[in-house]
Amino acid sequence: MQPLTDSPSLKTKQLPQFAVLQLSGCAGCEVSLLNANEWVQEFELVYMPLVVSAYEVPCVDVLLISGGVRSDEDLYNLKRAVRCSKKIIAVGTCAISGGVANLGNRDEVRELFMSQTERRDLPRLLPKSQPVDAFVNVDLYLPGCPPTPELFMAALFEDDEFNPSKTVCQECGRKKLKDMKPKHLTGFQSGEVLPDICLINQGYLCVGSSTRGGCRALCTRPGHPCVGCRGPSDLLIEKDSIAWLESIQRVFAALTDIPLEEIRESLLSPQLALFLFQFSDYAATGRPPRPKEKVL
Amino acid sequence: MTMLTFPLSRIEGHARVEIEINKGKVLSTRFQAMEKRGFSLMVKGVPAEQMPVIVPRICGVCSTAHHVASVKALEDAYGVTPPPLACIIRELLLLGQLIQNQATSLFVFTMPDRLGVESIFHVTEEEADNGVQFNIAKRALMVRQLGTDLITLAGGQFIHPVKAVVGGVSSGVDPGKAAAFQQRVIAALPTARDLVDTYWDISIRMKDRIGTWGDDQPAYYITSTRPDQPNFDSSSIRVMDPLGNCCSEFTASQFFDTLTFEETDYSYAGRTSYKGEVMRANSLARANMTRRMGTPLADGFLTRLRDEFGTPAHPILLFDLCRGIELVYALERAVELLSSPLDDQDTDVPYTPHDGEGWGLVEAPRGPLIHHYIIENGTISTGEFIIPTVHNMLAIERALRVAAERYITADSVNLELEHAVGRVVRAFDPCIACATH
Ligand code: SF4
Ligand code: SF4
Repeated sequence: MQPLTDSPSLKTKQLPQFAVLQLSGCAGCEVSLLNANEWVQEFELVYMPLVVSAYEVPCVDVLLISGGVRSDEDLYNLKRAVRCSKKIIAVGTCAISGGVANLGNRDEVRELFMSQTERRDLPRLLPKSQPVDAFVNVDLYLPGCPPTPELFMAALFEDDEFNPSKTVCQECGRKKLKDMKPKHLTGFQSGEVLPDICLINQGYLCVGSSTRGGCRALCTRPGHPCVGCRGPSDLLIEKDSIAWLESIQRVFAALTDIPLEEIRESLLSPQLALFLFQFSDYAATGRPPRPKEKVL
Repeated sequence: MTMLTFPLSRIEGHARVEIEINKGKVLSTRFQAMEKRGFSLMVKGVPAEQMPVIVPRICGVCSTAHHVASVKALEDAYGVTPPPLACIIRELLLLGQLIQNQATSLFVFTMPDRLGVESIFHVTEEEADNGVQFNIAKRALMVRQLGTDLITLAGGQFIHPVKAVVGGVSSGVDPGKAAAFQQRVIAALPTARDLVDTYWDISIRMKDRIGTWGDDQPAYYITSTRPDQPNFDSSSIRVMDPLGNCCSEFTASQFFDTLTFEETDYSYAGRTSYKGEVMRANSLARANMTRRMGTPLADGFLTRLRDEFGTPAHPILLFDLCRGIELVYALERAVELLSSPLDDQDTDVPYTPHDGEGWGLVEAPRGPLIHHYIIENGTISTGEFIIPTVHNMLAIERALRVAAERYITADSVNLELEHAVGRVVRAFDPCIACATH
């Protein structure tokens, strides 16, 4: 992978203009984008404060937005940026469904936020962190925490050749065994994992079976259960989160003897709730489902 | 009275500098963190075992340091000691972070200041023709990529790693992959060395142009790496006085007894001090507080630094040069660690989770990072994060004042001030997402 060509005539063709607006997030999405080097020769990067000195979001052909809308400043920047940009891509879990920031949307935590975050002369926090499409139209969603460089490339280049598997499970390569049925869940922090065997057979609460493919099973291959950062697969993304819950339960019923109650309870724990149910929690947010054609 | 405001770019996160002046006199300089992440509030009630997956999301730039600090805090609470192999893999993870971070700070954040451009991604036709900047960008991204790939090799996921677990790591490193990666690093080392050389040379040229290496007064220094060789998987913190004497050594749990932490009303980030004194953390602190780097190329650079600037060295722009030394060190050290088998021993020890209190310490690229958890009924009741950037807050503001006084007179503000502000802040490489966790 060559990050830049040696061709000196780089600027002679008109490159599409490209900007990255970072709202409240961890910059992990930007760091991942920096690892996807090929765009450097195909786009003219006009705005991305992390790497370019530029202070006004200009009108661009492609606008990537990462992070959630957490402050009045975020909202202002977001509205200004989308005014005149042609294609708007929401990248990363924070921008699409809230991600970790949703931990701060619990009522008891919101109170603390409000009481501890008064500052003079600084952007004010909104009562809740919200996804980008609560305020503006989005043309393409690129979920992942963060999306891999490969996914960034596919989104930027509208690559039709890029056809990832439907689910993380299909990309993982671990074998599902019929005769290795754990009776209880193993915690997330429980040391060595057997290679090549499905994590569910080993009692881990892995949700790769219902999670959107495309990351190449980044976490499950080295032995950590998938926490669902890519959101629901196409099969589930237009359905309510209950459909997701049930689909995972069915997989566990087939591969384990773990009581349903135990699985249900663990699936609702914060770590998974961070990613999993946010995407399709339509009942709670009242927002319409994201059409699957718009989600990469 | 006039307020000059400077928005900042090419740093991690949203921040700005405000300089208050009256008739050419600098009244105050403020470094403001403009966003609030609030993880210490957000993790309340989260099951303790899930922290290592949640906290990397504090910051995508420093995620690895948070991941390891979190696991170490839980191990401290549960009374577990990880096996040697796990410690090596964790050290590799932290080295990957160091490579990625120092390469980013050197080439993406601060190189443009030296080349007089807005970004290394902006290549105008003439520059592409003479090839200088173009070549730097290409090679710099290649070296940076090694850091990311090392994090992936040792940590699974590439931004928010997952492989460090309480009691050890979830798997070893495949020998074939380790060997192949080691070869890539060996092949890239001369490039990294040349890049650091180039960076050093153009820094000297910049210094000749602006007439200073950054003339702030000497300061106290703080690090958690060992005095004999920097291992970033650290166990205690040291503070050194401006003359180079070690004046305090303490563990993470003694942090609040030794240092003062305070909030301010003009920034979402707090700040720390040592007995009322300004401290500096990050690369220059580590270089000043280690006897040697312990690897040949890096020690060559360290000797050069000491020959030119003495020890301890204080000018601000040396932070950047020290990042270069550490970039080379991290690559060399990774080659060493990858030579021994990384899948032939136990990767973890068993443990029983229970309620209690734990402190986790690592040296992040920006300095000592502490996670402090109190666990009640299996969930986090208190989660505290002591962020390296806050140790530098007072130092940043003091250095900004020196720069402001240099460029502001009774009748005019020299336009160079804006560049100086950028250079000063970037020398400290602050991380705002972390600082406002
Ligand atoms: S989606 Fe994940 S990687 Fe991206 S900004 Fe949010 S926390 Fe960071
Ligand atoms: S394996 Fe799961 S959690 Fe990991 S990157 Fe893929 S979708 Fe995200």
